[in-house]
Amino acid sequence: MTNKTTDSTAKKQKIVIDPVTRIEGHLRVEVEVDENNIVTEAWASGQLFRGIETILKNRDPRDTGLIAQRICGVCTNSHYRASITAVENAYGIVPPRNAEIIRNLVSLALFVQDHLVHYYHLHSLDYVDVVSALEADSEKAAKIAHQWHKQPYNCSQGDLEAVKEKLGSFVNAGRLGLFANGYWGHPEYKLSPEENLIHMNHYLEALRIQREVSKAIAIFGGKTPHPQNLVVGGVTSVMDMLNPQRLNDYLFIIKDTQAFLKRAYLPDVKMVVAAYKDNIKAGFGRGNGSFFCAGGYDLGSFNSAENASNNDSESSKLFVDGVIWGHDFDKVESFDENHITEEASRSWYADEQPTSPYDETTEPHYTDLNTDGTLKTEGKYSWIKAPRYKGQPMEVGPAARMIIGYLKGATLIKPYVQQFMDDTDLELIDFSSTLGRNVARAIEAEVTCDVIFSSVSELIENIKYYNEETWTKYDFDALPTSTKGCAILEVPRGTLSHFIRIENAKVANYQAVVPTTWNASPKDANGKRGPYEEAIVGLHLADPQQPLEVLRAVHSFDPCLACAVHVIDAKGKTLAEYRVPAKMGL
Amino acid sequence: MKIVIVGGGIAADYLANSLLSQDASVEVQIISKETYAPYDRIHLCDLVEGSADIQDITLELNPKVQVALNQEVIAIDTQAKQVVCQKQNFSYDYLIIASGSEPRTAFDIEGIDNAVTFRSAEDSFQIANNLQNRNVVIIGAGPIGLELLDTLMRMPQAKKIYLLVRNKTLYSLDLDPSSVALIQKAFERDDRITISFNDQIIDKTVLEGHITQIKTKQLEIENPFIIFGIGIKPNVDFARSSLENDRGIMVDEHMRSSDLFIYAVGEAAQIKASGFTAGHVKECRLQADTAVSHILKTNVQSFERDVAVDGLKVGAFQFTDVASPFYDINDPDNEVVLLRSKSENRIDQYILNHDKLMRFIGVNSNVDALYLKQLIIENQDIDASYLYNNRHENERGRLICSCVGAYQQDLIELVEDNAVTSFIELQPYSNAGRVCGRCKKDVANLISNAHVNPEEVARKKAAKIEANKQAKWDRAKRRIEKFNRLHPKNEISTDHFADALESFDKVSEFNGWVSMMTLNLNLPSEYDHLIHQGVQQMNKLPVIWLELADCSGNSEAFIKSVNPTIDDLILKFISLDYHELLMAASGPQSEHLLDQLIEADKGEYILMVEGAVPLGLNGNFLRIGPNGETGEALLKRVAKNAAAVFAIGSCALDGGVVAAAPNPTGAVGVAEALERDDIINLPGCPVNPINIVGTLLHYIMFAEMPPLDTKNQPLWAYAPLIHDNCERRGHYDAGEFVREWGDEGAKKGWCLYEMGCKGPYADINCSTVKFNEGTSWPVQAGHGCIACGKGKIAFDEYANHRKVIQLPIS
Repeated sequence: MTNKTTDSTAKKQKIVIDPVTRIEGHLRVEVEVDENNIVTEAWASGQLFRGIETILKNRDPRDTGLIAQRICGVCTNSHYRASITAVENAYGIVPPRNAEIIRNLVSLALFVQDHLVHYYHLHSLDYVDVVSALEADSEKAAKIAHQWHKQPYNCSQGDLEAVKEKLGSFVNAGRLGLFANGYWGHPEYKLSPEENLIHMNHYLEALRIQREVSKAIAIFGGKTPHPQNLVVGGVTSVMDMLNPQRLNDYLFIIKDTQAFLKRAYLPDVKMVVAAYKDNIKAGFGRGNGSFFCAGGYDLGSFNSAENASNNDSESSKLFVDGVIWGHDFDKVESFDENHITEEASRSWYADEQPTSPYDETTEPHYTDLNTDGTLKTEGKYSWIKAPRYKGQPMEVGPAARMIIGYLKGATLIKPYVQQFMDDTDLELIDFSSTLGRNVARAIEAEVTCDVIFSSVSELIENIKYYNEETWTKYDFDALPTSTKGCAILEVPRGTLSHFIRIENAKVANYQAVVPTTWNASPKDANGKRGPYEEAIVGLHLADPQQPLEVLRAVHSFDPCLACAVHVIDAKGKTLAEYRVPAKMGL
Repeated sequence: MKIVIVGGGIAADYLANSLLSQDASVEVQIISKETYAPYDRIHLCDLVEGSADIQDITLELNPKVQVALNQEVIAIDTQAKQVVCQKQNFSYDYLIIASGSEPRTAFDIEGIDNAVTFRSAEDSFQIANNLQNRNVVIIGAGPIGLELLDTLMRMPQAKKIYLLVRNKTLYSLDLDPSSVALIQKAFERDDRITISFNDQIIDKTVLEGHITQIKTKQLEIENPFIIFGIGIKPNVDFARSSLENDRGIMVDEHMRSSDLFIYAVGEAAQIKASGFTAGHVKECRLQADTAVSHILKTNVQSFERDVAVDGLKVGAFQFTDVASPFYDINDPDNEVVLLRSKSENRIDQYILNHDKLMRFIGVNSNVDALYLKQLIIENQDIDASYLYNNRHENERGRLICSCVGAYQQDLIELVEDNAVTSFIELQPYSNAGRVCGRCKKDVANLISNAHVNPEEVARKKAAKIEANKQAKWDRAKRRIEKFNRLHPKNEISTDHFADALESFDKVSEFNGWVSMMTLNLNLPSEYDHLIHQGVQQMNKLPVIWLELADCSGNSEAFIKSVNPTIDDLILKFISLDYHELLMAASGPQSEHLLDQLIEADKGEYILMVEGAVPLGLNGNFLRIGPNGETGEALLKRVAKNAAAVFAIGSCALDGGVVAAAPNPTGAVGVAEALERDDIINLPGCPVNPINIVGTLLHYIMFAEMPPLDTKNQPLWAYAPLIHDNCERRGHYDAGEFVREWGDEGAKKGWCLYEMGCKGPYADINCSTVKFNEGTSWPVQAGHGCIACGKGKIAFDEYANHRKVIQLPIS
């Protein structure tokens, strides 16, 4: 059971953060803190219901992709692909290898783009004090940048001075725009002015890089967000696939991006890790230690020389599946999607019992907020359902994938993780923390970017030997009219699953269990907290009026929805209200 | 940077002023061998006559220029970058030689007290002091000699005045004999004057540094005072050993010498390619501009010769001289056309070469010199009858100042309209008489003869101001009418302009209009405070971005903006004050910020709304902020004070995919939720960022919304039909269709109509602007269009791979 926080004798206060900014979507977080400013309880609440799953009902199964992708504009390609794959799975249609590769080229580039935008534009301002950067000595900063990489990205004294000037003239013009009213000067900002300047330099540079990676996605996706190149049975962008110039453009963008990851993103994360080593070692933001990864991304025989001789199909996959319970790294179970259930005892839906996603409904049952606008923390309090694996809340995402990949000796992942740990003196347990999640995400960006090249090589080899197939033919009228299927995909924020049940050749039921559903899950009937809640409980807040530590913990999951956090004292009076911008993702 | 100029004339002066006006940080040093600060040699005759003293002809010089006088340059040390003078050396970063030329003499006059040249102020004073009872001998009949003769003729001192001319011409070798005769006759009316042609000194008697007698081919003259005006040579001996030279210092088209840090202009320079040496002040100025631009590396130009226009007034004669840069006096193909009028004492002499005008010399001519210049520039074919028929003066009267092109009538009007009473007062209105200075006297005379009536001037001034004001107000009126036309809800009366302006403040939707009015229309100064407000607003247009029932797809698209890129956009053009996805502020900081913005920037901010507005469950499907405000309530609160509301993306248009059947949350678009018909709709799923930025920039640049269609969508982005502008349209017309995904047609880029492309139903600019910096768009990716910009209907009827006609949707 949860530790009840409404102890009238102890001095406790409640903090409401709404909206959580720098996330996608509408998320609220309420926390209760004791007299020592330690968080004793937390509630994460999704504040928007759109009912896309309801809209999908009764449609032609071939059309679900174009609607399901609009679940999210950030993870747009992920839902598109998951939906199409679920339908293919239901009908037993296997798309040609070329289509799989093209789908991977878009998905992998999206990993890179998403992680970059999350780290720099949605998260870094929790660690980087823009105002302090204006005090930096650019000559000193250029030297510091060289401590983290021998060729730091755009970090000459001139580059840094130019950024300082740009920011300076922006600040002097009087309106701070996006940077207004940040927690600038908060005691938990630990970077030096020079380190802040290096980061802000890359913040601006990353705006350009994410635009470039988006172009790479659009080469095969037609556009992004909301690409338009997938159909049940394959992909449509065959003309782009056969155009050597398009392949070349794609590759060169990825090459430039790789340089940014290796010379800016990774070094910047190492710099932050060094500054906050104490927080990591103290396990700030650690959850309950139960992770899973569904595995995936078959990279074929091109990923490494060893694999060419090793016919184990698992080892040709980028991610390997696994389940870990309570930080027990000695035992990694295999993952089985049949253990997934969702329940809604604390969510605003009618269907309360744990149910398989194939059968569950999405019937809203709204019980409102308290009259003062706070959550009814004793009852239903979120639009997010509570997904469980074997009845337990689970954390998904880059940390889960990197820990499991490392433990299972994933050929593509282990060396990168090992290298980073060696460079920074971290251990595997450290990945289960606020900053650890960011470390895992940075390593994953580097890994995914590197493996793109082998995928392109395989595609080129196929085309060279006249395999131009991009679509598997089927006769829709001859397909079964009643069937069901699912897609379980690893996507930037974690494990995404779409479940479809088809009756009379129409969608009878549709459910998406997205990474943020796992991570931002509310409590369940047993009172077990979701991962956000678990990560927040136990945090010490330097200043409850500015709950920066809560924001960092929530942001470290890369949320894809919008939220809110309020501070309420023992008598229930609101002391302060916070809005945390969050990226509401999968 | 230190720039040293050698020379003390008009070129040196112009160089120094122009350097400092373009770059106040340079250090400029003038070195002159003369005793006086730079003065205008054109007026030396006035010094002789005593009608002006040295101050009157001293040129204006920027006080920051350091001037070293009485410094004769001996050499240039290009290694040490120093100018070596007798008394001291001067270091330079750049050196410009504008030392002009020195006069020639027929024999060495060193140590002789009654033989002088006529080139400097010193010379002028010496001449003036030595005329009494002398037999003055002027040697040389060029413009200088004639002008001096004309001056001496007006002075009583000289006993006799001889003009020795080596050949049989006056003024110029080109001048027609009839003109020569006319001029000779006029001068010799004064019986002190003798013009002796084909003559030169053949012997002289010198006693103790004094010439007592000279013998010429034709004359013997006692007690002479000899003045040489026989020509000039570049004054560059000090540079001959250090720089490449011929007659003058050799320079390239940028006036740079053989040394990278040394330039030469004017009479001291000789263009290497053409051999040209400047003689006129205007050419010297052009060369100076060229050198300055090359040294300061601003807008670097090359020197090109222009048609030379010159004028000289000597006694009763007014010379007008126009010469092509390509004129060659020795070309045997030159032909002369002469028009003479005895009664007017007028001779027009045209020199043609293969029907092209090469030179014109007029004596008392009534031909417009600038018109002739135009003939030469345009290289027009002309003949005698053409010249005869087109010889009349410009309707604006005689050309007074050829340097600025000021005609008599223009100047009179300027003088009368502005009540100018002296040459100095004319300066704000015209530079006439100030460039080469030759016509200064004419301009001064014109001013003193003009009739200025102060009352009339005041009346004219007032009328002019009134007319200006009226014109501005008329423009403003037209803008108001346009404004009313574009936004029929807004009715601003144009009857009372001041009231109308005031009412703009009340037009909450488009307060930016006020800044446009004051800035773009350049309104009278009483609207200064509005201009001030406008500038602030223009520079940083406040933008609030709300996300409602959305997927952040439009925000993701927005950060992929280019031209301007998202960082320039948010750092320079707009102030993106509230955007949940990107803003730093959290907690009370962000919400209080929103509350403050709504009040502080009331009527000024643009509100961009992304997402649908769920109205079902009393709006409770979306609750935002600490108090759990519904999305609908938040939208209404923020929209109320917005200058304009943009509905971004298809969900904001009419609910989009969120409102697709069965519309579980009762979602509607922004306009419907607000019950307003002035919402700017920018649909698309997501909207192409080009369409947001384009509309925003239109608003910033023109302070009004672009023209809209009936659905309030900007026409520039939403009028084109995809099907009409599709890159695969040719295949549609040819009947070449993709029939199956990945088939041969798909590989060749054939039309996707049969695969359910909805391009024929989509009026939006995707096919022309594409996405992600023009990388691709759905049709290029082989998928076809789903008409996502049409709103919710797209997700009920278009988002599939079947033709519309076969698709009755539930």
